[in-house]
Amino acid sequence: METQEEQSKRAAATIAFPSIEWFRELARLMRENRAIHEHLGFVDCVARFTVLDGGVAGKPWSAIVTFEEFEAVEVIEGSDGEDGRADFTLEAGLGSWREMIENIARGRGRPDLTHTLNYLSHMGTPFRLWSDDPLRRDLFFRYNQSLQEFFDASAGLQTIFGG
Amino acid sequence: MSIASKMETLKPLPTFNPMNEEQVARYEAEFREHCNKWGEILERNGERMKRGEYSLHWMNTEGANWGRRAKPSSRGLTYTDVNNVAGYGVVPERASCLSFAPRGSVRDRYAAEMPVVDDYVLLDRDESWADNVVTLYEEAKARQWNATRDIPWSELERLPEDLEKATCQLCTFLTEVEFVAGDFPAKWIYKIPQEFLEVKSFIVTQMMDEARHQEVFRKRAIAGGGLLHASPGFEWALKAIIDAPTHTMGTFLLNLLGEGLVLTVFRSGEMIAKTHVDKEIFRRCLQDEARHVSYGVMELKNYLDHAADRDKAVEEMHRFADVGEQVILTAFTESALVEPIAILLGGGLDKIDQGMEGQGHLWKASIEEYLQRCERAGFSRRERCTLPPESMWGRS
Repeated sequence: METQEEQSKRAAATIAFPSIEWFRELARLMRENRAIHEHLGFVDCVARFTVLDGGVAGKPWSAIVTFEEFEAVEVIEGSDGEDGRADFTLEAGLGSWREMIENIARGRGRPDLTHTLNYLSHMGTPFRLWSDDPLRRDLFFRYNQSLQEFFDASAGLQTIFGG
Repeated sequence: MSIASKMETLKPLPTFNPMNEEQVARYEAEFREHCNKWGEILERNGERMKRGEYSLHWMNTEGANWGRRAKPSSRGLTYTDVNNVAGYGVVPERASCLSFAPRGSVRDRYAAEMPVVDDYVLLDRDESWADNVVTLYEEAKARQWNATRDIPWSELERLPEDLEKATCQLCTFLTEVEFVAGDFPAKWIYKIPQEFLEVKSFIVTQMMDEARHQEVFRKRAIAGGGLLHASPGFEWALKAIIDAPTHTMGTFLLNLLGEGLVLTVFRSGEMIAKTHVDKEIFRRCLQDEARHVSYGVMELKNYLDHAADRDKAVEEMHRFADVGEQVILTAFTESALVEPIAILLGGGLDKIDQGMEGQGHLWKASIEEYLQRCERAGFSRRERCTLPPESMWGRS
């Protein structure tokens, strides 16, 4: 049986999704896993990750992550009217995000065949990739492996889900 | 024997192309003229060496950009860092130096003695330049991978025969197409003067990427069962690319249209992959392909933006696209491509109909992406596109 100390330790280590803290943890892990990212090559883009029903009262919630070289140098919460800042947006409902993150965790950092970023977004559902500029949208493809590794690192977090 | 006497004894090199008498005479006269030119240089050098005399003219920095040092940025010393140094970064609109002398070196004073490289014919910057080419070159180098080492080949699993055959047929198609994507830039790179070194450098990375793609798909097929069928429809599309009349037209057909569609095939390949090995292969390849597409879009944009007569240039591109779209469609309607993808999408030969439905969705999305890329390049193809917006399957 779990002791109170163990319970509080576990609670302290958990981190909620969606939250800025969760994405900042991924940014920290990206720095920690720099060798992997150096092997894949630098990544230069601004990505908006949107949870369509992840905000207050089921409204959309977004994190805007700025990738430079081998790091996520800035993670901020997106707000309305900031669409132009991101090169592309990857969006899905909380259920789909949760399924992907839990699948990555089960695979200890490796999603199964049907839970990679490309798999989930290629048909436009359950994830949708969009941008007003096709060249900026294509950055999602140019850095796909790096972005996959960014999310794969979430296996190292104890994620709890809201909603 | 003096150097001049040695020169006279040199015989023209054998030629391997048949020539008539007039051509032989012209070739021999040119050979002699060239021999005399470099013979004079050799004689001058030989005499100086014999006198034991130094020249040290190369230490004279008059006319050089000497002392303006490039500073590395956080990711190393990039072409951008070097081009920021005055005297090195200005890319001329038209190349006038047709030797190998590097841009920014002291070279004008030697022009009279320099050879002229006859093969340099893409003299206008806007026949090959793209504003993102420096970024793409640096990115391409940083994101290279190794098809022998970076793919977890030992994890390759045996698939049911229908899925394995479909995978191997898809790999056969991709092996067939990848070399044209290397051969086309190879056909043009030596025609681009050294002035446009950034374009030449990027094109080399594209050739390396395509060599690796050909390698990885060949290896995947042979590791999984074997290469299957080549197809005439693929071949005609590939021939149209290699035979494109200009570099810009060929780049449109290869990088923007062809590789744009192949990017969708790669994304589909990643999605429908039945093993982690295949997933890794397609994910790596789609990154490279997206770079090539990006160059194609911006090269076309740059060409049209700087065309002396834009309307005429656009109309010529439309005329070329009318043919190009149909010949590319010839490849993308081949059963040896459509059917294996449908089987993989559906999950088996018995689910090929479901796969065709999924493929219809992907076709529609691919055409929309193609039209968006054309628009981004300033080439509005939406009203004139000859590609069917919906899959042709079952629409008789």
